[in-house]
Amino acid sequence: MKLENGPRLHNPWGFIVVAVVSATVVIAFGLGFLLLPRYQEPRAPFSTKDAVYHALGFHIHGKAFNTMQPPPKVPTYIAWTESTIRQATIGDRKSGEFIATNCTACHGEKGLSTQPWIPSLAGLDRLVLYKQLDDFRSGTRLSGPMSAIAQSLTSQQYADVSAYFASLPGLPENRGERTPRPHSSYRNRDPVQRLIYAGDPKRGIAACASCHGPGGYRIGAPALAKQNELYLEQQLQAFALGTRANDMDMPMRTIASALTESEIRALARAYANENANGP
Amino acid sequence: MERSRILSLAHLWTAFLCFLPAVGLGFWQMLMRSPLPAPVDDPNTYYASVTAHGSIMAYVFPTFFAMGFGYAIAVSALGRPLQGEKWAWVGYALSLIGTVMALVPVAAGRASVLYTFYPPLLGSSWYYLGLALVIIGSYFWIALMLVNFRAWKRENPGKPVPLAMFAITACALLWGWTALGAVSEVLFQILPVTFGWRHTIDAGLARTLFSVTLHAIVYFWLIPAYIAYYTLMPQAAGGRLYSDTMGRITFILFLVFSIPVGLHHLFMDPEHGAGFKFVQSVLTFMVALPTLLTVFTITASLEIAGRVRGGKGLFGWIRALPWHEPMVLGVGLSLLLLGPGGFGGLINMSYAMNAMIHNTSWVTAHFHLIFGGAVVIVYFAIAYELWPRLTGRPLVSKRLADIQLWLWFWGILITTVPWHIAGLMGQPRRYAIFDYSDPVVAKTAFLVILSVIGGCIVVISVLLFFYVLVRSSFAPVAESMPPIRYALSVNPPATVPALLNGFGLWNVILLALVLIAYGYPIGQFFFLHNQDAPAYSLTRGITK
Ligand code: HEC
Ligand code: HEC
Ligand SMILES: [Cu+2]
Repeated sequence: MKLENGPRLHNPWGFIVVAVVSATVVIAFGLGFLLLPRYQEPRAPFSTKDAVYHALGFHIHGKAFNTMQPPPKVPTYIAWTESTIRQATIGDRKSGEFIATNCTACHGEKGLSTQPWIPSLAGLDRLVLYKQLDDFRSGTRLSGPMSAIAQSLTSQQYADVSAYFASLPGLPENRGERTPRPHSSYRNRDPVQRLIYAGDPKRGIAACASCHGPGGYRIGAPALAKQNELYLEQQLQAFALGTRANDMDMPMRTIASALTESEIRALARAYANENANGP
Repeated sequence: MERSRILSLAHLWTAFLCFLPAVGLGFWQMLMRSPLPAPVDDPNTYYASVTAHGSIMAYVFPTFFAMGFGYAIAVSALGRPLQGEKWAWVGYALSLIGTVMALVPVAAGRASVLYTFYPPLLGSSWYYLGLALVIIGSYFWIALMLVNFRAWKRENPGKPVPLAMFAITACALLWGWTALGAVSEVLFQILPVTFGWRHTIDAGLARTLFSVTLHAIVYFWLIPAYIAYYTLMPQAAGGRLYSDTMGRITFILFLVFSIPVGLHHLFMDPEHGAGFKFVQSVLTFMVALPTLLTVFTITASLEIAGRVRGGKGLFGWIRALPWHEPMVLGVGLSLLLLGPGGFGGLINMSYAMNAMIHNTSWVTAHFHLIFGGAVVIVYFAIAYELWPRLTGRPLVSKRLADIQLWLWFWGILITTVPWHIAGLMGQPRRYAIFDYSDPVVAKTAFLVILSVIGGCIVVISVLLFFYVLVRSSFAPVAESMPPIRYALSVNPPATVPALLNGFGLWNVILLALVLIAYGYPIGQFFFLHNQDAPAYSLTRGITK
């Protein structure tokens, strides 16, 4: 084999290269799709067809057992899909303002509640308002007055009234800018600040700010700044006891049940007195 | 000639001037994660900083470097003026504008998504558009490399394209193909959401598209270093390249095998079945091949040089090598770091062992060892080699350059070895802050502090690098400056098989492999798994 003979060698070499690459691919597929999956699982060996299915990522386990399953317990019937988000954000502010006349008695003029156990709604995110209303309707969040009210409204009206309250000035919007905020790490000596900005991994508590702001923003997490202190405290207690259980993926039930009584009180106070830039 | 030198210099200066602040940010990040006090001390700033650091180190710095080095090679290896120089400046301008566009929102805290984007995390549109522009600018370079490659072949029918040009063209082609993964992720998954047209992202599909880029991008960084291994180092050592053919095969193997393997970054992801993960794991072992070929060829070339210089005995040739030449020293140290780096890589790409190190600091340590250790150290050596040729002014001090390379070598080792170990102890990656009062975390404290010390050495080394470059730029112009010379091989080929002198068939094989390896893993999202997840925008304004 003399390489110098260039062009004449082109064809055999091209053929050899293609053959070697193809052989590698065929062997890889044979191992990955036929041989390994057949013997890997405890219930192995599978049939060839099941092995290929398994390798493609289809679940073939447990298909044989057609046992009755209890109905799943759902925290909420809202999922943040494209269509839900569209539904929740197409509300009309004007009709919302009209619907909101039913709310002022409790939630205050212009959505700013004066009763400490009732939340302010002004400035809350549309998605938050929409989801909470739907949860009150479906009973995944329990509240005497709110369930009745939510059941009397349609989902279009949820969207309308959400658009209205979201547009009012009130709870400061968490814009989520991640601008520098010195001393928000574990080195902060103030335990409440530490919980809000750094959390406490030893107890599995994520930083409140990573979802509620300032700085972080998670879909569906209500703004807490300037909310009524007593309301915040009650909600945290409800999450801790499990009497409020409508948080999807249960971040709040997990976190709140790890907090102590005094931490809950201190956190509620810190957020209630917070300005737009955080406590 | 003169104008193309300015072109190369502009690219290289831009590359290094972006590199400098990115190193500073990296050092601050190490402080943040350590038990030592750090200024500012804020996790949000940490993620903004990591995003800037990663975006510069992964996209901006190596892209500008490869472009500048590529133009220098096209002119000096082909011995003809650069065709289409005007377009090169257009590409440069686009990439530069893109860099600014991407970094401003990051600095404003509106795009802390890290350089790998991590959808459904969502940052400002400007960030993604900026990075896309950096890549679009580099496509001008890719086109120019191909144009000049072709033009030379037309003028020199039947002659082998000089190895350096052959390799940089392979690098350009590789980048051209592989960048399409990240670009399509940005265009079809992320931007429609940042523009408000959609609210959800198919996170599985987006991650899979990104994985098309994520492995091969490393070879885009690496190939310029390998070009120095093959063509500059043997010359600087006063010897010859052991085999030109081996070089061509190496670069071809990189081109063909480094894309259809990216699924090894998704071994722990649930959206793919085990079958294709295994297939791509096997293909990944094929990319280890060109590196093994290289280690062999380059060691052989070093031995040739050592023996030419009178080295005797089994190891005597090592002592006989001119280690005071920055190029020889840089490549030697790079080879040393490539050893543990490559070994770590073998662990990462092994389907089963990957589970052990997934999402731990081991991975970050690994890519800092490979990129910082094996690649960037050669970028420095290349800069020392090119600067005198581009500026016409001699290097102020080879001794300082050597000290700089040694500092870098030790700095990277001291940084990354404890970092690997901390990863094995379970230290997670992408964490801004650690609670060292936790006894489990406290066990890593000593290792992390060691890493910080390594980081200090790295910073000193980079400052020294700039000192040498800047001083040299003001040195008096030398009366005569020899042009860049590329190493001859032991048996310089008069002709080479057409297969080893062009990329036609290789492009076809590459595309066929990508289709086989990625066709189903990407295609499945369109008819099977819908994994739409709500975008998690970092600033509420984005999806409002
Ligand atoms: C009779 C008094 C009353 C009226 C009228 C009322 N609400 Fe409420 N609302 C409450 C109370 C009390 C709560 C707190 C429930 C709890 O403690 O869990 C609440 C909670 C809410 C919440 C949850 C807020 C959060 O931060 O989670 C929303 C949203 C809400 N109301 C919307 C409305 C809307 C819209 C109307 C009018 C259509 C309305 N409410 C009328 C008493 C009322
Ligand atoms: C992982 C994200 C996350 C973290 C971390 C988090 N929260 Fe929440 N929180 C949520 C979400 C989501 C909701 C809304 C739950 C629902 O859909 O009903 C919520 C709801 C709440 C509410 C009820 C507000 C209302 O208007 O009804 C309070 C109070 C609250 N969180 C406090 C906290 C505090 C205090 C911390 C820190 C100790 C914290 N949260 C940490 C996600 C988070
Ligand atoms: Cu990889």
